Amino acid sequence: MTGNNSVPAVKKRKAKSLDKKKAKMGYVFVLPFILGFFVIYLPMIVESIRISFSEIKPNLTGVGSSILYENVGFKNYSYALFEDTEFVKTLITNLKDLVLDVPAIVIFSLFLAIILNQKMHGRAIFRAIFFIPVIVSTGIIEYIDMKNVLSETMGSTSIGGDGGQAAQTGTEILNTMDVQKFFASMQVGQGLVEYVTGLVNDVYDIVNRSGVQMLIFLAGLQSISPAIYESAYMEGATSWETFWKITFPMISPMILVNAIYTIIDAFTTETNGVMTRISYVNDNSSMPHAMAMSWIYFLVVILIIALVAGIISAYVFYQRRD
Amino acid sequence: MDSFERPTFGKQKIQFDDSASKWTRFRYKYLTLFALKKVVWAFFRYAFLIGISYVILFPYYSKISTSFMSGEDLVDVTVKLVPKYPTLDTYRIIFNETEFWAALKNTAILSLFCAVIQMIVCSLVGYGLSKFKFKGQTLLFACVILTLVIPHKTLQSTMKLFFQDFNIWGLIPIGNLINPSTHWPMAMLSIGAIGYRNGLYIFMMRQFFKGVPDELEEAAYVDGAGVMKTFWKIIVPMSVPMMVTVFIFSFSWQWTDKFYTKMLYNPKEFVFFQNIVDKLPQAESVEKLMTEYSSVETQYLAAMQNAIGLLVLIPLIIVFLFGQKKLIQGIERTGVTG
Repeated sequence: MTGNNSVPAVKKRKAKSLDKKKAKMGYVFVLPFILGFFVIYLPMIVESIRISFSEIKPNLTGVGSSILYENVGFKNYSYALFEDTEFVKTLITNLKDLVLDVPAIVIFSLFLAIILNQKMHGRAIFRAIFFIPVIVSTGIIEYIDMKNVLSETMGSTSIGGDGGQAAQTGTEILNTMDVQKFFASMQVGQGLVEYVTGLVNDVYDIVNRSGVQMLIFLAGLQSISPAIYESAYMEGATSWETFWKITFPMISPMILVNAIYTIIDAFTTETNGVMTRISYVNDNSSMPHAMAMSWIYFLVVILIIALVAGIISAYVFYQRRD
Repeated sequence: MDSFERPTFGKQKIQFDDSASKWTRFRYKYLTLFALKKVVWAFFRYAFLIGISYVILFPYYSKISTSFMSGEDLVDVTVKLVPKYPTLDTYRIIFNETEFWAALKNTAILSLFCAVIQMIVCSLVGYGLSKFKFKGQTLLFACVILTLVIPHKTLQSTMKLFFQDFNIWGLIPIGNLINPSTHWPMAMLSIGAIGYRNGLYIFMMRQFFKGVPDELEEAAYVDGAGVMKTFWKIIVPMSVPMMVTVFIFSFSWQWTDKFYTKMLYNPKEFVFFQNIVDKLPQAESVEKLMTEYSSVETQYLAAMQNAIGLLVLIPLIIVFLFGQKKLIQGIERTGVTG
């Protein structure tokens, strides 16, 4: 009897020590980030927060650096929220755009990834083409495009151009009036009509912003076991059922990733209205004001991300036993 | 999905008796609803893909064609997309009168170096965050998201000040890392996994590792492998596709980067593409051409800058084509699919 009892006890002790050892190894794995975050990132953040609470004053004593930071409390923040009317306005407009853009981009990129995952001729070429916007929408290429005056003279669709510009050059794909008439006869709301026509006309913009998401979905789709599809087929599932019962749940972690990525991407690109406003204030009026604005902005962004992540992760399916 | 092809009814073998005519055979084989469905689907699929590809590629076509245009073409309003007097002047100026090759070399070294470090570090951190339970894990993950949400662009002024007077919490002063330029700021950002969009890479790797069944590692532990050995022998080989994806992202974003290279390097010591674009108007023959064709000055300059952009893109497309092949190979070999 005693022998029988002692076996589980030993097992338990061993398991516990393994867990402890594993926890220690966990710290080893995340060590680079801990170092980077606390040694480099946090000091920069702290400095930036400190500046957002202060006012820049020239140092008249002649000792030390030429600039002094004087603590003024929440003055910069109240300025951003109540006195700078432009800031709050752009923030609200941006949030509205986001609500409309994120689902469109996620669905579009999933759709593209599914199509590009199917067997067909020229798949590699199409994938390479769809990858181009991923590289192009950043850094130096974007910089060159922003200053690009060629697109107008050459009569081409402008890179990174918005629907408004396209409308002027007459390259609008859909005539908004026609579509509005069509939808009006179907008794759907004005808002939906504008949404749909807006999406179609901004197709370049949407494609441009879906590249990364498409690749993430593609990697996710390819990691789904063919055996699952095979058995579903044997059981007589149609493609429609297979998509909703297998592909969709298996890809759901990637949907979470992509939704969050799209939000962050939309908020942090340099062409974003609020970001432009902040850098404008930074360059033209005062750095502390700009810092205060960016901190308000990031609080809003973090809140939204937490909200979206909370909602979506309730429905995410992970393929492992807990 | 590559190894398993869904059996389709169009491929079903039909037994015909000998009396069946050719027409009957053809009719039963191809004039079915399933064959029709396939054709219609293929048609729409290609129409859609080609349409979107057109939207993506057309601007490049116009860029390529203008990069071969001479001043006369730009002045002539009848010339739209095909140059009448094609010339290689633009490329000759870029190759001969700018430091293009130096910039290419510097960018290649920096991108490769950053991409490799970031790929390794982000996989490690992602693995640590997904497969281990330790104190402060959630907080740490929140920090990862924080680094992603707060772009470095807004920390620009503080970042420059920080690296100009680099110290560890004010206790250990190290000195100025920007002037004279060193690779240290970029190296530290990469090793600390807080470089450009590194939060995204960590997030991607974490999501990927979360989907890997724990049984794989448990089996390795039972067989006596340590945590490090398990990671190296079991996890790394199966996460090749995700790591290649991270590598490609990191490489291409570092390649086209203008923010860090402009801020952390002195252009007199290290030349990057951005400096070439900025300095182009000062090149001797460009100035001459600008005065010659002063009516289309801005267009001509834009055409030249676009040519630089095209040259910047070519290596990246090659990297992607190479990486994509690896990506598919890696996926087929992985244990994830089994």
